[in-house]
Amino acid sequence: MNPLRRFLRTPEAVAGVVLLGALIAMALIAPLLFPGDPQAIAGPALLPPFNDWSLPLGTDRLGRDVLAELFHGARTSLAVGLAAAAAALAIGSVVGTLAGFAGGLVDEVLMRITDAFQTVPSFLLALAFVSVVGPSLGVVVAAIALGTWTGPARIARAEVLSIRERDYVASARAIGMHPLEIAFREVLPNALPPVLAMSSVIVAAAILTEAALSFLGLGDPNRVTWGGMIAEGRAVLRTAPFLSIVPGIALVLTVLGVYLTGEGIVETTAVRRGLS
Amino acid sequence: MSGFTISRRKMLAGSAMLLASTAMQISGWAQTPKKGGRLVLAADSEPRNLNPAIVASNGVFFISSKIVETLAEASFDGKDGLAPRLALSWEGAPDGLSVTFKLRDGVKWHDGKPFTSADVAFSALQIWKPLQNLGRTVFKDLAAVETPDDLTAIFKFAKPTPFQLIRNALPALSSVVPKHIYEVGKIEDNPANNAPIGTGPFKFGEYKAGQYYRLTKNTDYWGKDEPYLDEIIYQVLPDRTSAASALEAEEIQLAAFSAVPLADLDRISKVPGLKVISKGYEGLTYQLVVEINHRRKELADVKVRQAIAHAIDKDFVVKTVFLGYAATATGPVPKNDPQFYTADVPTYPFDVAKANALLDEAGYKKGPDGKRFTLKLLPAPYFNETKQFGDYLRQALAAIGIDAELVNNDSAAHIKAVYTDHAFDLAVGPPVFRGDPAISTTILVQSGIPDGVPFSNQGGYKNDALDALIARASETLDTSARTDLYKEFQKEVAADLPLINVAEWSFISVARDTVGNIANNPRWAVSNWADTYLAG
Repeated sequence: MNPLRRFLRTPEAVAGVVLLGALIAMALIAPLLFPGDPQAIAGPALLPPFNDWSLPLGTDRLGRDVLAELFHGARTSLAVGLAAAAAALAIGSVVGTLAGFAGGLVDEVLMRITDAFQTVPSFLLALAFVSVVGPSLGVVVAAIALGTWTGPARIARAEVLSIRERDYVASARAIGMHPLEIAFREVLPNALPPVLAMSSVIVAAAILTEAALSFLGLGDPNRVTWGGMIAEGRAVLRTAPFLSIVPGIALVLTVLGVYLTGEGIVETTAVRRGLS
Repeated sequence: MSGFTISRRKMLAGSAMLLASTAMQISGWAQTPKKGGRLVLAADSEPRNLNPAIVASNGVFFISSKIVETLAEASFDGKDGLAPRLALSWEGAPDGLSVTFKLRDGVKWHDGKPFTSADVAFSALQIWKPLQNLGRTVFKDLAAVETPDDLTAIFKFAKPTPFQLIRNALPALSSVVPKHIYEVGKIEDNPANNAPIGTGPFKFGEYKAGQYYRLTKNTDYWGKDEPYLDEIIYQVLPDRTSAASALEAEEIQLAAFSAVPLADLDRISKVPGLKVISKGYEGLTYQLVVEINHRRKELADVKVRQAIAHAIDKDFVVKTVFLGYAATATGPVPKNDPQFYTADVPTYPFDVAKANALLDEAGYKKGPDGKRFTLKLLPAPYFNETKQFGDYLRQALAAIGIDAELVNNDSAAHIKAVYTDHAFDLAVGPPVFRGDPAISTTILVQSGIPDGVPFSNQGGYKNDALDALIARASETLDTSARTDLYKEFQKEVAADLPLINVAEWSFISVARDTVGNIANNPRWAVSNWADTYLAG
């Protein structure tokens, strides 16, 4: 059976892919569907949802279109989630590979640094980083990556430790390849799959962290973010609860979609490994 | 203000219903305050230093004004808008070099010692003049305080000081603290700063961080039969949404200083047993102001500043950001000020086409992307409304081709960025008008203020004519001539726009029906509450 069909047989994986696909579609068509600034004032303030079909999800306290904000917010969430995860995976696998392959003092130093980062709660680290450097999209991505690269680093190191004893590594050594070349061309590609399996968890965590930072007012104020929308809606929670509920639901579905897709991939690969 | 009309309409409707049922009973009950009871109210901040003589700010007054009294309090119907407290009368000499205060007899400090003119002299010379945030300016020429007897204090000034200014400063700047407590050791480190001792109707009880402040009745208070309440509890509720639910659940009886968000007022005014009151803050007017950094070459051009003023729809701001609980502004003195306000100033009606034309004229044509130039916009984080106005201003500027990039900071970082580092092009600030332009308004436009002074002109604006006008007004003793100079000041500011005044707002109280004598002076929330009572 081919992996795609096996993947599509698990219902939760399909649900995940549908959710994630919808999210990606939202992010892609946002500028076509809602051209211009999503934060522009589009109508009367605090219009409830489903009242005016030109503003189907209503408006916020300044009269901005909630649906447009929701679509543009998907772009931010997804961009931050993917960028932060990519950065975390890149840093983590490089550090892990170096530590595992070099061993000795290098291993000790790198792993103690990893431990040091791991002892600080990653959200706290992001919070401190953003409040010192100042909120902007790049800083938020860096802040999230800073707190999440340790997981991939530890997994990469563990994988590398077992791979470096394999015969093909020994033969690469024997033909006189440079140790760094061996580490990154021979060992790293083979250590990657289990590290990549973590990516869904990291993306989901990154999206949530970004939302939490925006909620606390530490997101980029020039972009629409779901966390920022929830925070703004909170002031009028009793009179206009939809302002917090709508982006809240979007956030839940996104994280669920990313997570279920990731689970599906892991399960598919695990089954394949089990069969082979 | 439209906020007031709403509540007045509701009050009328409510009283008509009451009249229909039990008219006589109700009016009798409203006039005789009941003694006893504990008032529980919401507090949203926990000031560390509770000494109002040092920190003259509303957050401190809210709690400490019940404990430490001033020489006089603001009043709706008193002469010059004042009512006597620790001073019974005040008289300025025609040469502007002295002011004589006759003090109240038989007043005792909370520790039993008598209150005398020595306490007033000590507070003025040792605290208001050298240490107080606002007193430093107003009392800068105070040279001595003579105390011929225990109940007379004569303030002597080195330079002529307008009596009108001293009078207007009394409600906020003249908190009297006991000499015998403060003369030992360093004033800033005195334990009484955290557990104040005063002459007020309530004594400081205890403070539990993150939970509450408790004030207890001063049984030796000078006011006959006052205070009515036995206890006041300030319940710390930092979350703005929780005050409304606490009121509904009858956990608190009062939420002042707009602790209930404006957007919730409409809903909560319909809850039986609760009333929404927009009076009682007339003396605490906040101004929504766009601060401008004149070091930016574009903003140094008055045409650009006028264009920005034309781009702001003040009515929209009042209606949407403040939900009607505000008034549009015309200049640096708020409309509700009885002494100084003039409407006779240049105005900037909302007109996007005109704003665009002005910018074209100034030579900043739109680029191919529709943008003329980019500005950094820093909205002050203290109020929801200042942040929301920042969001609105960004949109308003986009409409005239100015790309504003929002920068959010926390309070400390905002103050540093704007007032010390000058790392802004535009900022949204909420300065307070304190009854006289010389107290905290002229410094917003005056030049020569050292870096780092918060809520002052840090935008590099310099206008010699305006500086000369401010200097002349500060030495003019005649009240009407001084008032005229400040009217000219308003005209000049509105014409040259060193900053743009957008709106003026104040706060809203929500209270249970049982709380009596609410909002009976223009600084009610920060007054002494000796006559506040709980019925039923």
